Amino acid sequence: MLRFVSREAGRLALGLLGSGLLAAAISALALPHAGDGLIAFLIAWGRTLDAFGHLNFGHSSISGGAALDELAAHLPLTMGLVAEGFAVALIVGIPVGFLFGAGPARRAAAPLIQIVSAAPIFCAGLALAYAAANLLHWPVPTDNGIKTGLSLWPHSAAEFETLLLPVLTVGLAGAAATQMALRRAGSDGAREPWRAQLRRMGLSAWEVEGVYGVPQILAGLLASLGEVMLALLSAAAVAEWVFSYAGAADLFVKSVALRDWAIVAPVLLSFAGLTLIADFIGRCAARPLADPGTPP
Amino acid sequence: MTRSSTQSLHAMLQVAGWIGLGLIAVAVSLSDFLASAPADATGIGPLLAPPSTLLHFGSDILGRDMLSETLHGLSATVRSALPATLVTLVAGALFGFVAARLPRALALSLRGFIGILASLPALLLAVLVIGLSARGWAAVAAGLSAAPFAFVRAFERARLQERATHSEYARATGISGATLLRRDLVYEFSDTILSAAARALAAVSIVLSTVSFLGFGAVPPHRDLGLMIAASKLYFLHAWWTAAFPAAALTILILFARLAAGLDEGERA
Amino acid sequence: MSEARQIVEVSELGVASSGVSELDNLSFKLAAGEALIVLGDAASGKDALLRVLDGTTRRSDEMSGTIQYGDGPALPAAKRGKPGIRVVYLAGAADAPLNPYTSVASQLARVLARRHGSPRASALAELRIALERFPAAPAFAALSGKPGELDAMDLTWALLAAAMAQAPDLLIADHAFADLTPTSIRTIVAALMQEQKRLGFALIYAARGLKTAAHLKGRMIVLRQGRVVEEGTFDKLASGQSHAYTRTLFKALPRPAEAAPARSATRGEPLLQVQALDLRSPKDIRSAKDGGPRTRDGISFELRRGAALALIGEEGSGRRALVRALLGLERVAGGRVVLDQVDMGILSAAMTSRLRRRIAFITGADDALDPRMTLWDVVDEPLRAHLRLPREMVAGHRETALKRVGLASHDGRRAVATLSPFDKRRLQVARAIVSAPFLAVIDEPLRGLDAFAQSIMTELLEDFRRQEGPAFLVITADVGVAQVLAEDAMFFKDRKVVERGPLRDILRNPKDEETRKMIEASLPASL
Repeated sequence: MLRFVSREAGRLALGLLGSGLLAAAISALALPHAGDGLIAFLIAWGRTLDAFGHLNFGHSSISGGAALDELAAHLPLTMGLVAEGFAVALIVGIPVGFLFGAGPARRAAAPLIQIVSAAPIFCAGLALAYAAANLLHWPVPTDNGIKTGLSLWPHSAAEFETLLLPVLTVGLAGAAATQMALRRAGSDGAREPWRAQLRRMGLSAWEVEGVYGVPQILAGLLASLGEVMLALLSAAAVAEWVFSYAGAADLFVKSVALRDWAIVAPVLLSFAGLTLIADFIGRCAARPLADPGTPP
Repeated sequence: MTRSSTQSLHAMLQVAGWIGLGLIAVAVSLSDFLASAPADATGIGPLLAPPSTLLHFGSDILGRDMLSETLHGLSATVRSALPATLVTLVAGALFGFVAARLPRALALSLRGFIGILASLPALLLAVLVIGLSARGWAAVAAGLSAAPFAFVRAFERARLQERATHSEYARATGISGATLLRRDLVYEFSDTILSAAARALAAVSIVLSTVSFLGFGAVPPHRDLGLMIAASKLYFLHAWWTAAFPAAALTILILFARLAAGLDEGERA
Repeated sequence: MSEARQIVEVSELGVASSGVSELDNLSFKLAAGEALIVLGDAASGKDALLRVLDGTTRRSDEMSGTIQYGDGPALPAAKRGKPGIRVVYLAGAADAPLNPYTSVASQLARVLARRHGSPRASALAELRIALERFPAAPAFAALSGKPGELDAMDLTWALLAAAMAQAPDLLIADHAFADLTPTSIRTIVAALMQEQKRLGFALIYAARGLKTAAHLKGRMIVLRQGRVVEEGTFDKLASGQSHAYTRTLFKALPRPAEAAPARSATRGEPLLQVQALDLRSPKDIRSAKDGGPRTRDGISFELRRGAALALIGEEGSGRRALVRALLGLERVAGGRVVLDQVDMGILSAAMTSRLRRRIAFITGADDALDPRMTLWDVVDEPLRAHLRLPREMVAGHRETALKRVGLASHDGRRAVATLSPFDKRRLQVARAIVSAPFLAVIDEPLRGLDAFAQSIMTELLEDFRRQEGPAFLVITADVGVAQVLAEDAMFFKDRKVVERGPLRDILRNPKDEETRKMIEASLPASL
């Protein structure tokens, strides 16, 4: 296990380093003369890497504020959306994944789930907004250009109504990824011989599936945590845009549109880091559940 | 439901998916004939008119016929998605299989670099590529953004085959790396190229439409479905038809692409 | 003298699954302390019998006939219910019967706890006591490993201990010792029979071939396509069998050969020369007390063109390490290998790869062929890749090879993954035929095959050697297999050669104790 964790930690470190190099390359575009040829770009890249090493990510070319300050102002909202969306993803995705992840139900449910999950997330978000506004008469801020704050821990019904839609949008995307990971793990292990053999030895179906089957499926979900995080971050970007919230994903999109590369870089690094860390945690958590040991 | 009856159902659904894509292809090629108005033609009907016998899909804020606009939008989306699909297949799956058979150091370096790209959401990667290039490159950007995941998947499958016992026996009997690569290309790629293409089509359609929704894709007057939905954002709450029909068209395209790809367990579209 | 207690009586048992008859009109009685060997291939109906007896029938099974357990009433087979005696199922290690991610002890203790209704801690203690009853079994601490961390023999001991801890009245062993080496089979069958004497259970052993039956010595029924074709004791059937199928099964059983296999007429100059090959790894050398390689202990031998040499030994004895070293697949501490008059040590990787094109592998490992490939592609690949023949010529060679191994009628577009183990084995022979190798490495070619398939496979290998004339290096733990395929042999233990020479001479008069044990296990005296 220690060897496995060390190897994964090494992969994580290399991934973060690579992400840092990529972010620095993008941030270097903000420096003057960076576009004056390959040598000039490489020099700018080196300078930016050095600055990154001192935790100096530069300044926004639009607002003039420090990139780290901008990130600190916007990232918590995105992380909150992702965290709460992840909770929704587990609440919805795990039962769906287990319910439709075993036996004949899995095979029959596959087309149904494909149909339900075919709608892109922004369409799902708009549909939720429409239902909330017209059926439940909730306030739905979808005006372009108007950015409002979002309280991640609502203290009133109005705040709850405002929070629910983006969280549900993110959560549904996460649920789709979660149930996919569970069904994939269920499918991978469905035909293994030990299931029938342990039953023949005297264990009940519940024991076989509950004690030995479920951990394997959960291990599959944990190992796919990186993919789930990608789905959540993508959905967060869409939700922030649809519901007009000033999160880091919205900041990223706006900064790319305005070519404010000094802001783009640290946001990109944060997102890559979140995915890599989620993947690392997931794979390490999955290992004890699905480690076949060392052959003799 | 028995296994064989489920397999028949899945096969039927796959055929239905391809038929659906075929119908969409016909609609796209004949969009100029099927649509009663040219693309972006304003003032065809009253502003924000709901669906009726005259305007089956209603009209939008500029009096454009939503049925015609949806057809033109679908055409624009599909015409962008096709080259993007090709980019994903070549830069993703094909490159992944080839890269896995390169000398170890080079293979692992490529895997590492592209793995970092795969750790970014495809949507944001596409936005970044468009931002670094130009809006006209949206199709290529969408293709390139979906490619890292396809690359990693293909690479890992090829490495798994490389480490398998049968590869060891093959090498022990003088079978070269090129012949083993041929096995990957024949059995992992060309045998499933139609499925892979359909899967890639679904993925890039989602990315392209979302990128357009965010304002990075299609440029008016060549509006694709994502841009149409984005334009309806201000008034769709009381004029649902301005977003619903383009969204339905987009969902149907993605659904047929996923069905045509086959219902492999756990395949991410 | 009191009669032994009746354990089970089966009367006119029939099983049909989804309308297809699997078993028809089977009747037998079994008393305490008796053994019944049920012999047949995969479609013989023995699986249906085991399903009925251990209560794991499928929803699609329709059963007729009656079963009486112990002193209970004879009930219709379809209404089995709780049998009233302790029926215990013993799986084979080769069937991967345990979850790969949990320790062996934990899983078997759970089974015991479930069966006895006792806490897990006491179930673990019972398992330990049962295991310690077997002197040859591994230490109980080894069972804290996962199934993949134990070898087949250790896992079999664990499964047997768990079965014995349940104090069965009826033990159903489902190919429990398949794929073990003959020496291992002999040891474990002796332990099983001792336990049977102690506990007095009845035993039903389902088998594909006669290797285990030769040691078990119980009553036998031979099933074919759901019907009994032969019944009797092992000794009676071994002396004179009536049904053609039974004769085929006994033909596959190894016996001491009266005549040595014919030596190839084309034997000539040496194909393979090995000088002082040290199989110890460089790490072992470094930790050796006197340090450095010892060339006087290295392995030296010669294999001439068309000759056949058997490398005989248990798992881990060094046979495969030797072959891997010969082919340059593993580094060794010292020695020299000359293959086809070329020193392998001085060749580049590219040249070594070219030389390996003249080597074929035929192995009992089911994963030796790429499961994605089609049947035709497996045979075509060497012709396309190595000889670059045009398509028409490739098709011609392919057809000839497939005809020879009996696979010509199969759909050539079928994937290898859909083939049976027997078909995969024959496909390997077809691939070897078209490769026209000068050396064929044959590694446990009969593993996992039923007796009928074993005899076909043996004939195919003999035909392959006769027609294509490659030298054979046969890796096996079964002296019976070796004597059919090879003239000379080297016996291995702990990565050293303990005996070598013409196999016939060794069989008559083995000098080494380990060699003698292997011979006795592979060629039971009853034959």
